Amino acid sequence: MQVLNELEQEGLLSRYAIGGAMGATFYTEPFLTFDLDVFIVLPRTVAGLLTLAPLYDALRARGYTEENECVLIEGVPVQFLPAYNFLVEEALNQAREIVYEDVPARVLRSEHLIAIFLQTGRSKDRDRVRILREQAQLDMNFLADILRRHQLEEE
Amino acid sequence: MDGVNPEVARIFAAKEGRRQTLARLPFPEKVRAIIKLQEMAATILRARGKSVRPWRIVGIDTDDSLGKS
Repeated sequence: MQVLNELEQEGLLSRYAIGGAMGATFYTEPFLTFDLDVFIVLPRTVAGLLTLAPLYDALRARGYTEENECVLIEGVPVQFLPAYNFLVEEALNQAREIVYEDVPARVLRSEHLIAIFLQTGRSKDRDRVRILREQAQLDMNFLADILRRHQLEEE
Repeated sequence: MDGVNPEVARIFAAKEGRRQTLARLPFPEKVRAIIKLQEMAATILRARGKSVRPWRIVGIDTDDSLGKS
């Protein structure tokens, strides 16, 4: 978390929040997962491009290595996922501030996690939706609004 | 629960109660539990030919993370 905060402070990413199985685990029983999904907003380059290259360069300079699609940071494979649609951008903007072992961090709201899992639609994502609905304290009006605005009500 | 032996129904209820208890754990405790799950699953997954590695986070000892209430 400290490394993510430093990357944000250095402007290598504009904003981050934890999502995926680890994000869901914030609200539910622990899920088995081997990587940490971190959704990010990337700063635009002068040419208006969005690229992960400066972020990866900075991590390499800190001694962290790439491993498949992840970067191994302090023993944890981290997958950086640039915000890829309006739903993820909104989720990042409205992410919850938490404190993990005295370090501030951000995690996606449970209602946004459900919407993202529904949009992704893999079988394991549907399992996560079911468990979030069973165990998380959801704002059902907020969830309904997200699903309506992002055309996910049928999911 | 229709058609289920009362003893089995009690076990199911207890399992559900444990899941709800796990859901209410502090987040750092959940992280410890995930690492323990990774260690348990890694042996099985490696036997199936999958390359997985439990997290090694400085300062986190998973020896006492599960099995305590």
